[in-house]
Amino acid sequence: MQKFLSVVQWALASVCVLTLVTLPISLETQLVAGMCVLVAMMVLKLVRPDGIWRLVALAFGTAIVMRYVYWRTTSTLPPVNQLENFIPGLMVYLAEMYSVLMLALSLFVVALPLPSRPSRANSGDRMPSVDVFIPTYNEDPDLLANTMAAAKGMDYPADKFNVWLLDDGGTVQKRNSDKIGDANNAERRHAQLQKLSAEMGVNYLTRDRNEHAKAGNLNNGLSKSTGELIAVFDADHAPARDFLKETVGYFDEDPKLFLVQTPHFFLNPDPVERNLRTFEKMPSENEMFYGIIQRGLDKWNAAFFCGSAAVLRRTALAETGGFSGVSITEDCETAVELHARGWHSVYVDKPLIAGLQPATFASFIGQRSRWAQGMMQILRFRFPPLKRGLSIPQRLCYMSSTLFWLFPFPRTIFLIAPLFYLFFDLQIFTASGGEFMAYTLAYMIVNLMMQNYLYGAFRWPWVSELYEYVQTVHLLPAVISVILNPRKPTFKVTAKDESIARSRLSEIGKPFFAIFGVLLAGVAMTVYKVYTEPYKADVTLVVGGWNLLNLIIAGCALGVVSERGERAATRRVKVSRRCDFQVAGKWLQGTIENVSANGARVLVFGAELEDLVIDAKTGIRFKLFSDGTEAVLPVSIRNFERTTDSIAIGCLYLPTEAVHHRLVADLIFANSKQWEQFQLSRRGNPGLLRGTFWFLRLAIYQTYRGLVYFWRDLRGQDNIKPIGQLAEKRQ
Amino acid sequence: MRAVFASVALLLLAVSPAVSQTSPFDMSPEKPAVPAPAQPTGVAPAQNDSAPIAAAAPQPAASLVRRYIVPFTELVLSGEYSQRSWSLFLTPEQAAAKAELHLVYQNAVVVAPEASRLKISINGSELVDAPIASSENASDISVNIPANLLHAGMNDIAISALQRHRTDCTIESTYELWTQIDTAKTFLSFDGPDAGRWKRVDDLRAIGVDESGATTFNLIVPSMGQTISTSPAVRLGEALALMASMPNQSFDVSETGSSVAKPGMATIVLGPASELSNVLATVPPAAETGPVATLIDDPKLGPSILVVSGPTWQAVDMAIDDIAKQVDRPAGSLRTSLSTRTWRMPDVPLLSSASRLKFSELGMNTLEFSGRRVRTDFAVGVPSDFYANAYGEATILLDAAYSQDVLPGSHIDVYVNDNIAATVPITTSGGEILRHLPIKVTMRHFRPGDNVIALEAVLMTRADAICAPGATAQGGQRFVIFDSSEFAVPDFARVARTPDLAGISGTGFPYNRSEYTLPLIMDRTQPESVSAGVTLLARMSVAAGRLIAVDSLTAATAVADRNALFISAISQVPPTVLAQVGVSNDASSTWGETVASIRPNTEATFDRWRERLRDSGWRGQIGSLQDWLTRTFNISMNSFRIFPGPAAEFTPQGSASLVVAQEASPAGSGTWTLVTAPTVGALRDGVRSLTEQGTWRQMEGHITTVDASDDKVVTVPVTRFNFVETQPFSIWNYRLIVANWLSANALSYAVVLTLLSILLGFATAGLLGALGRRR
Repeated sequence: MQKFLSVVQWALASVCVLTLVTLPISLETQLVAGMCVLVAMMVLKLVRPDGIWRLVALAFGTAIVMRYVYWRTTSTLPPVNQLENFIPGLMVYLAEMYSVLMLALSLFVVALPLPSRPSRANSGDRMPSVDVFIPTYNEDPDLLANTMAAAKGMDYPADKFNVWLLDDGGTVQKRNSDKIGDANNAERRHAQLQKLSAEMGVNYLTRDRNEHAKAGNLNNGLSKSTGELIAVFDADHAPARDFLKETVGYFDEDPKLFLVQTPHFFLNPDPVERNLRTFEKMPSENEMFYGIIQRGLDKWNAAFFCGSAAVLRRTALAETGGFSGVSITEDCETAVELHARGWHSVYVDKPLIAGLQPATFASFIGQRSRWAQGMMQILRFRFPPLKRGLSIPQRLCYMSSTLFWLFPFPRTIFLIAPLFYLFFDLQIFTASGGEFMAYTLAYMIVNLMMQNYLYGAFRWPWVSELYEYVQTVHLLPAVISVILNPRKPTFKVTAKDESIARSRLSEIGKPFFAIFGVLLAGVAMTVYKVYTEPYKADVTLVVGGWNLLNLIIAGCALGVVSERGERAATRRVKVSRRCDFQVAGKWLQGTIENVSANGARVLVFGAELEDLVIDAKTGIRFKLFSDGTEAVLPVSIRNFERTTDSIAIGCLYLPTEAVHHRLVADLIFANSKQWEQFQLSRRGNPGLLRGTFWFLRLAIYQTYRGLVYFWRDLRGQDNIKPIGQLAEKRQ
Repeated sequence: MRAVFASVALLLLAVSPAVSQTSPFDMSPEKPAVPAPAQPTGVAPAQNDSAPIAAAAPQPAASLVRRYIVPFTELVLSGEYSQRSWSLFLTPEQAAAKAELHLVYQNAVVVAPEASRLKISINGSELVDAPIASSENASDISVNIPANLLHAGMNDIAISALQRHRTDCTIESTYELWTQIDTAKTFLSFDGPDAGRWKRVDDLRAIGVDESGATTFNLIVPSMGQTISTSPAVRLGEALALMASMPNQSFDVSETGSSVAKPGMATIVLGPASELSNVLATVPPAAETGPVATLIDDPKLGPSILVVSGPTWQAVDMAIDDIAKQVDRPAGSLRTSLSTRTWRMPDVPLLSSASRLKFSELGMNTLEFSGRRVRTDFAVGVPSDFYANAYGEATILLDAAYSQDVLPGSHIDVYVNDNIAATVPITTSGGEILRHLPIKVTMRHFRPGDNVIALEAVLMTRADAICAPGATAQGGQRFVIFDSSEFAVPDFARVARTPDLAGISGTGFPYNRSEYTLPLIMDRTQPESVSAGVTLLARMSVAAGRLIAVDSLTAATAVADRNALFISAISQVPPTVLAQVGVSNDASSTWGETVASIRPNTEATFDRWRERLRDSGWRGQIGSLQDWLTRTFNISMNSFRIFPGPAAEFTPQGSASLVVAQEASPAGSGTWTLVTAPTVGALRDGVRSLTEQGTWRQMEGHITTVDASDDKVVTVPVTRFNFVETQPFSIWNYRLIVANWLSANALSYAVVLTLLSILLGFATAGLLGALGRRR
């Protein structure tokens, strides 16, 4: 009853607002109303940006957006009898309407994200038996060793969980490949991993044929195991010690629960962050998804499986015959199927795994292409909006998640549209300068403010646009191809362990320079037109401004595709841990300052510089989080320098036994608190204005850097180091 | 450039002996846009001035009858192309008579005769096509009208001028082109035995105009002083006005009156037969027995006198009804057009809801044009309850084309009632055919009644920039507007307001639809005030398109809460009425004293000084920002008020000789309109001035004042008004009414939007609390 009443109330309020915004009011009234709403939103932002007032501010924004849609629909489309204007005009219109639809869906999804759930680590839940699956295809044994060690190190009764390494790189099919080199490699991998697993107490499992890619691999694991719950970790996703403790308890609370998903936390930057050097300062791209959107989805019981860092219920999976493998994003697809059968999901907003993400721009694009194509396949084969069994909120949520990946189309249209006017004089948007100010400008500002309201701390202004743009160039063909041939794409494992030794242009970066050139010509054309055709200068300036915005984003993207060389192979994680460090046979007190998957930096007290030798083999002794025992990890010294009261030593792990991997895993992965702290340190809403200025500065510098790389590349010069170093200083 | 101009000028002077100019060319571009046409000095001896005023002559045989044809006080054809058309009613006798057209005009010095043509056509047949070459002296053109061209009833007259500048190719120069038609010497003369006489009542439609475009009904009511005579006099006046439908009609009501028979004037005698003997030499015998409305030639009064009579007043009323029923329109019938034919062809369509009209239906023909600036117009009417002036937008779907000579930077402007309403820039070179190009035209300047929508194309070409000798006259067509273009009006809000004088001006609202006879309170003893009353009600009836029944017996105190019309000198107006319509009581004692006009007007002086100082310094910059805002968004302080304060009491100022003030009746269900002047003489002159077509259409707002000496109109806008429902309830109409009100009160919209958004925010919070997971 209460529910019905609030629906009726809301419907009434909506009808009132809808009636008001669809009144054909005059331009002056629109201008005044737009300014009033903007001021109201700004004031609310400063005074009460949360709770009910956040919803009020969003309602303000919605009103202005709806006014824009009403005006755009009723009075700006070019006349149908001018086809040359009408067709591009309609395309731009549709692209804008898509954006508005996506805004509406995201408003629904993240209207009221669930607050983070309290920690369950000490709640004394029942401990059901768990099978931990680590599917692998071609990852490096060292990487796998860390993951396996971390998995084995989880705080859970040892008899209650089994770790399985599901190797798809050593299948019978691979080992019998006709290509003798491949066959030999597979054979070697098979043997090596078998040995490693045995040493670490992990079950090694492979299969005959590589059918259905990752889903098939997981299903093979399912068929060979019996645990009540299944935890899945990608080969490079090492769990924290408290992973199972924080997650399994939910399954007893809700017998219809099929999934507990946790966020993916990455130790290394994605190529955009790496090349723009924003990893330390700005929230990562995926934080918006894991920090807000999944929480929003959780509100509507629509949090979905993201392939890793999740726990699933075996009985639920059994209902659909294991993981679904029609699309190349088996994770989301499995979740759709189970949601439609009435199963529930839960999202735990606490980073409990740490992983790697693709390091090069090309593999980043490869990964995104898979996601986009997979989501398109889900849209095509499962069509969530009309899928029987899903609740209406779930349908909307899945619509939001899948339709999002159509973004390359509107992005492309927004990129090209101003050029239609600048170069071909097409009138695709019939509005005067005044109307543009009162409607479009108000809409754009409100739109940005709403984004800021929704995602402010997780996504800085214009970063979404940048990410969408850099993906669009290569994703557009991928999405078109999957729409034309929905069954064609196959699962490709994303490489995440590449590194870039020296600065260079990305191998798929050329189109960005071409686009930049065209947009630049558009700017030149704007200037030319303003001077030669002063009678339509107002429209030219508006369109030129739009093109300039595209140019700024495209310029920033030049920096994205200019890959910086990097010294450290993997990202360092800050820790602060007591240890003993062996120098010249003596154990001296020290602190481990930061660690990476390959090495650590230790501050040693009481050591003498002359005692230290590069490449000397030595060891770090520290207390394990897992069981409180002390152990020694062999390392070699790579570099050292004096600090005020100690010597900072950089060293490289030299793991020789399985137990050493456990030590490394304990150093890096044992404490999930430190990841949270790192994430929190980056979170912060710079606000629309400051964020815009920041982005502008970034874009100008990155354009310059991109052009320098391009110039060097043209001259065939390899040594791009100096500019890279310069960049570091500047940043 | 200047040198080129100069040499061209010299060359022209040298080679064109036909043009013997005494005044040198004025090359200065600062010349006023439209110079006041010089009054033709003196009358050329060739002119046929000797024709006696035929109607006055009792012996019809040897007479020439004159009908002035220009229904305007003046007729100036300006710009490179100008065209006017209207209809002239002819009696069967006039149509049958041998007729001659006389035209006298004078034009600006700069009009190039070899490239400029003046054309007149009647009923589609071109009678005059002459070069415009009369800058020195007015020239006279006489043409015999072919037999059978004219016919009884309406005859269409079209006059157009195509003018080119002698030397200048600029857009500005086109404003210097004008041709003035001398209305006093432009006429049709008929040579027929009965052409100057009216035989049937219907012939009164042929009353026409006098030398200055005015039409006067000389209404003689011997028993004017009796109360019973007023209503019939008004009713007859309304009927006659509707019959003739001339633009500038006035009534002179007198008890005895003499007849001055001349074009544009009719004499009518009204009253029971017994009372007519003082006025008429012979009272028609039929009047003694029954209702009669007939035309007689009376030895005392003259020929063609309309006598409306009967044995009693009841019979007289029946006689009036006989005339009235030919022209009256039943109350419920839908009015589809405004009859404007006698001064503007065709009748203006009245749009009462969404409509789409082709230019051809609006009387605009396909127009090809080779000059620089062309202006052409059409008119549409909207009802008095039109309420879309704040948000409404009409659309012109323009079919037009321009040649490859036309440069980008040219533009097509749309004017509504002479206010710019839209501009379409031409942005592509190389010529283009525009097919149904939508042009949004703001309806801000629409007024109840007829509205003139003008399209003006301003065309620039490279040839004009160079302006080689003779270039002004070159004939390549540059631009064409096709009559397949359309004018579309969406559904608009319909609700009337009180006060709103524009309603009276447009369709006589609210008095045009009253269910009861309208209380008319006026001083019946003074012929001037009766003349004013009849003239005003006649004008209102023409606007309404039907007779407005009046009740002249009601006393001011007995009006109560009904509609009422008060017409009196200010001293006769009851103070309660003055207070109700918002005119200061002091006005009755001070108004009309000459000092008023001498006293300096502080406000005007202040404005002048502010205007002078506004462009200097940073304050000037703010001023220009304000200007820009006003221009672009029509934003003024009025947009920011939520509840208007009460209007200040109005005291007539300066030289205003007539005040029309309107306000709701005390309880708000009726509308009171007061028409007053310092004296009854001023009242008559003022009303005559007010009812002239040009002045009448300027009447609007809460109060309108007219200066009878120069027809200057000042209006006081409405600050507070009541809505008067005119349409059956419909959500759709209410939505549009709300849209218009909120558009006019921008801040209110913002406030409502804010409140509703807050409501929606709270409702959403409630909804989100009830749906989905909560923890």
